[in-house]
Amino acid sequence: MKKLFVLLAFFLVASALPALAGDVPTMSIEELKSRLDSPDLIILDVRSGRDWSASEFKIQGAIRAPGEQLAVWSKHYPKDNPLVLYCA
Amino acid sequence: MKSSSLLSLALGVSWIFSPEALVIAGNVSGQMGWLIFPSLIGVVIVYMVCSRLLRSESLPSSPGWDFLVLQRGSGSIPATTLSLTACLPLTILAGTALLVTAGYTFNEVFLYWFPNFGFSFLLLGLLTTLQLFRKEYALWLQLCFSTLAMGGLLLLALYGIFSPDKQSTELLQQGSGFSLSSVSLLLLIFVGHTLSVDQRRSSFPLPLVMGFLLSGLWILASLGHVSPERLAASTIPYMTTAREILDDPGRQLMGIVIISGTCGALNGLMILTRNILTTLAREKTVPLFLSTQEKRWVLPFLLAAAIGTCMATGLAGNELLESLLRSALILWLLYYSSLCLSAVRWIQKVSASMPYPALFSTLLLMAGGITLIIDDPRRLEMGIFIFSVFFATSVLSTCWHFINKRQNPTGSP
Repeated sequence: MKKLFVLLAFFLVASALPALAGDVPTMSIEELKSRLDSPDLIILDVRSGRDWSASEFKIQGAIRAPGEQLAVWSKHYPKDNPLVLYCA
Repeated sequence: MKSSSLLSLALGVSWIFSPEALVIAGNVSGQMGWLIFPSLIGVVIVYMVCSRLLRSESLPSSPGWDFLVLQRGSGSIPATTLSLTACLPLTILAGTALLVTAGYTFNEVFLYWFPNFGFSFLLLGLLTTLQLFRKEYALWLQLCFSTLAMGGLLLLALYGIFSPDKQSTELLQQGSGFSLSSVSLLLLIFVGHTLSVDQRRSSFPLPLVMGFLLSGLWILASLGHVSPERLAASTIPYMTTAREILDDPGRQLMGIVIISGTCGALNGLMILTRNILTTLAREKTVPLFLSTQEKRWVLPFLLAAAIGTCMATGLAGNELLESLLRSALILWLLYYSSLCLSAVRWIQKVSASMPYPALFSTLLLMAGGITLIIDDPRRLEMGIFIFSVFFATSVLSTCWHFINKRQNPTGSP
C-alpha cells in the first residue's frame, strides 16, 4: 500500500509540473483573431513531432517552424514585425 | 459467449482501435481509395491463415507455448531476443505516443484549462496502478475500454454511412492507387489481434473478424465524408472524419474513442509484456524479478518510468518518435512472423507434411515488414534502431544465459 501511495504521489507531482513553467508574454485567442488580417503579423507554429501532429488545432496561414530549429528560422523573420509563436 | 472469450476479444481488438491504428487506416484509405477494401480482405485472410496455424493441435498448448515453439525453431537466445524486442520497445514507444495523443485530445475536446501533458501523466499513473492489482481487474477494465472505443466508433460509422448529408462523391469514382507499402501498413493494424490472450483455446479468430468489420465500416464512412487527399494528408484523420460526420458531438464522441482506445491499447500492451516476461522468467531466460509472479510492482513501475522519461524528456515533440514507433511495430510483426515460421517447422516435423498456405502467409508478413523499412524515407534511422535493439537485447540475453548456466550448471529448476 505504501508503494502505491509513493507511485500515485510521483504521478501527481509529474502531472503538475507544467504549472511551474516560467512567465512568458502571451496573446489571447480573441486578440490574435482580431489581428489575423494584419499584414505584418507572422504566426509561427513552433510545435514539432507529436505535439503538432496529435493536435487538432492548426492555425490557418501559420508557418511551421519547429522549436529545435530556432537558430535556423529565427534569422529569416524581421525583428520589428510582431511574431506570434504557437507552442501549445 | 464465455467471459474468457469476451476478455480475449477485448484484448485482441485493443490495438486495432487505438489512435495509432486509426491514423494508419485513415491515411491508407486516403492513399488507396476504394482499393483499400480488397487489400483489407487480403490482409485479414493472411492473418487468419497464420492464426489457424497457431491453433493447430500439433502445437503444444501449455502456458508459454509460443516461447516453446519459437525456442524449438530458432534456439533459446534468439527466441528470448525476439520476444523481448517485440514487446519492450513497442510498449514504451507506443505508450509515449498514445498518451501524448490522448492528452491533446482531452485538452482540445473536453477541458481547455487542463494541461495535456498533465492528463498524459495522470493516465499513465492510473494504468500503472491498475497493473499492481490482480490481473483480472486489468482484464475487466480492458473490456470497458474496448467496448467504449468500439461502441463510439460503430455509432459514428453507422451515422456517417446512413446520414442524408453525405458527400455526393461516389466511392468508386474516387481516385485510387495501389502500392505495396500502403498494403503493408495495414499489416501493422491487424498484428494487434495477437494481444488476444487465448489464441490457442479459441476456435475462431473473433478479434480479427470484429476488427475487420468495424474498420471496414469506419473506412466506408470516412471515404464518404472526407476527400481522399485530406484523409491521406491528415495527421488526425479520425478527428477530421468525426467532425465532418457529426460536427461537435462527433468530435466529443471521437474524443471518448481516442481516450478509451489509448487506455485499452496501453493496458493491452502492458498485459502482453507482463505475459511474455513471466514466461521468459519461468524459462529462466531473463532475471526472475521481471516476472510479475515474483514481484508484481517491478515491471509496471519500470515500464511507467521508461514511458514517463520519454514524455518528460520531450521525445513526443521530436520527429524521431514516429520512426522509432514504426520500427517497434515492425519488430512486433517480425516476432509474429518468426513465431509462425517456427510453428510451420514444428508441424512439418510432427506431421511430415508442409502447411504451404501458412508458410506462404508467413512469408508475406515478413515481406510486408521488409517493404515497410525499405519504402520509408526514414529507413536509415529505422534500420539503425532495429539493429541496435536486436544487438543490445541479444547481448543481454546471451550474458544472462551464461550467468544462469554458471549458477545452475545442471539446468534443473
